[in-house]
Amino acid sequence: MSSAGIVFRKELREIIRDRRTLIAIGLAVLASPVVLLVISQVSTRSVAQTYTVGYTGEIPAGLDVLFNATGLKFERVDDPAEAARKEVDLGVVFTPNGIDEYYDPTRQSAQIADIRLQTILGRYDAARIAAALQAKGVDPSILNPLPVTVHPLSSPAEAAGNAFLSFFLPYILITMSLTGGLSAALDASAGERERKTLESLLLTPAPRGAVLIGKLLAVSLISLVAAVAAIASMLVALSQIDFGISQGVKTHVALSPLAASVMVWLALLLSVAFASVTVTLGTLARNFRQGQAYATPLYFITIFPASIVLFIPDFNPGLAYYTIPILNAVLVMRDAILHNVVSAGALAVTSASLIVTGALCFYAALRLFTREALLVRS
Amino acid sequence: MTDVAVRVDRLEKTLGRNEVLRGISFDARSGEIFGLLGPNGAGKTTTLRVICTLLAPDAGSVEVLGFDTRTAPQEVRRRVGVVTAEFGVYPRLSARENIAYFAELSGVGRARAGRTSGLDGELNKRVDGVIERLDIGSFARQRAETLSSGQKQKVAIARAIVHDPPVLMFDEPTSNLDVLASREIREFMVESKGRGKCVIFSTHVLHDAERLCDRVTIIHEGRVVASGPTAEVRGTHQDLEDSFLSLVEAAS
Repeated sequence: MSSAGIVFRKELREIIRDRRTLIAIGLAVLASPVVLLVISQVSTRSVAQTYTVGYTGEIPAGLDVLFNATGLKFERVDDPAEAARKEVDLGVVFTPNGIDEYYDPTRQSAQIADIRLQTILGRYDAARIAAALQAKGVDPSILNPLPVTVHPLSSPAEAAGNAFLSFFLPYILITMSLTGGLSAALDASAGERERKTLESLLLTPAPRGAVLIGKLLAVSLISLVAAVAAIASMLVALSQIDFGISQGVKTHVALSPLAASVMVWLALLLSVAFASVTVTLGTLARNFRQGQAYATPLYFITIFPASIVLFIPDFNPGLAYYTIPILNAVLVMRDAILHNVVSAGALAVTSASLIVTGALCFYAALRLFTREALLVRS
Repeated sequence: MTDVAVRVDRLEKTLGRNEVLRGISFDARSGEIFGLLGPNGAGKTTTLRVICTLLAPDAGSVEVLGFDTRTAPQEVRRRVGVVTAEFGVYPRLSARENIAYFAELSGVGRARAGRTSGLDGELNKRVDGVIERLDIGSFARQRAETLSSGQKQKVAIARAIVHDPPVLMFDEPTSNLDVLASREIREFMVESKGRGKCVIFSTHVLHDAERLCDRVTIIHEGRVVASGPTAEVRGTHQDLEDSFLSLVEAAS
């Protein structure tokens, strides 16, 4: 067996016996579906929830029927403006000239109740206008000279599910590619110094490049396993979660074969790139704890790109953006999950970018690993 | 035996701004225990690190059994075993796995092609041999994290000698050990000498050096202040410690 193979086997054996790594991976595999289930139940509850509107004055005839049908419950209060701060979700004053509405935009329940109220009032206005026009012998369709018939290519439930996945899956994949092997990476680099085994290891005739490759392969493998396991457990959970009813059929979310293939490929590239980065940082560190401190900023790197997809869903940059590591992976995964399409150019640039990142970090780690300062500092 | 195993010639080394070695020269021979003595900070560890190729010399040269440390570092590493006071072991591997790992990295058993799994016969034989020689058998299957300091030191020695190197270097090997474990190390050095190994013993415990070493070199502030057979260096002084103190004071 080659030196790299010997080191790989030994590192893997140590990783498998390391409770920290196994617990981290186990928690991620179990925690993600649980979090997903909780989010799903909370959001489902929001849709079915009844919101309270505190009011004064007289509700116009016919409007009360619409209110009852749309999950808005009306309660008479003394001061709607004051009640809207805490007691009820909306405050409404019905006057002969119209409606005064009070709500606190910082409360999500108030925002939802406001949207419902505006929708009902819009329908009420349209119905009243149509009735008035008909009474005067005018066809109400005159108000809508260019009627539009919408034919959505996917159900709202599917759209919501894919939009959710396009943020959550890349985030989980990237986070697990980093954290799944982080402990192992620091153990294989900074840990050698801390345990005082580095000198003995470097004293063997094994080429240092081969030693480093063995370590990187072991860390990459455990990162990949962690990422794929977390995604798989989440997909199993998603298959059990109801995302609403579409045309009378309960809708569950699933990944297309293309999206699944892209994710596995990117998980592989990300695992190797992160392994190179974390082993490099670990080689710089004197001990495990210092290595953790060095690696902390990496967590932000994983969060920011995924956040872009969350806050700017239609972010469609040029090919140059796909050279930015991590962001490129997020964008490619988003396209694969959301649109079931991946541009060959974007995938090629993304792959090249991640491979170059990994190679540069490996080179940096190798330079550090062969420097005398590595021993003198320890 | 009087073959020169390690030749250090006008060795100079600076670490950062610290000029650690300033032209050190000595020879260590096969079949002897050679003492490298000096106070803390004299440059003993740096000298050993240059000999075993962990550090490169700034000037001068080091040869191990004819191989220059600059031009043939891997050949040198194949022929050297080092035991230090910091006997770090891999805690989640057993004592045996620790030894086997270093044996494999040192090329033991690698000549056998076509092996598919497990340790091959030659590797097993070599690992079992050092386990028996150092009396490690009773804890060979235990994880290293559960071993005592003395047991860990034995594992550290085993991994340093498992490839049967002709040159053994001990850098303050007993400084973290109790009396019994220290005695075992000393006995091991004597046994290795008997097997024709070149044993380089770096220490500031002069009592040990006087008992064990055939020849010594005393270094102080990166320079050799005395070198020769132990009795000759002791000279007219009562013991090596007196001689050492007078030499160091004279050099300061």
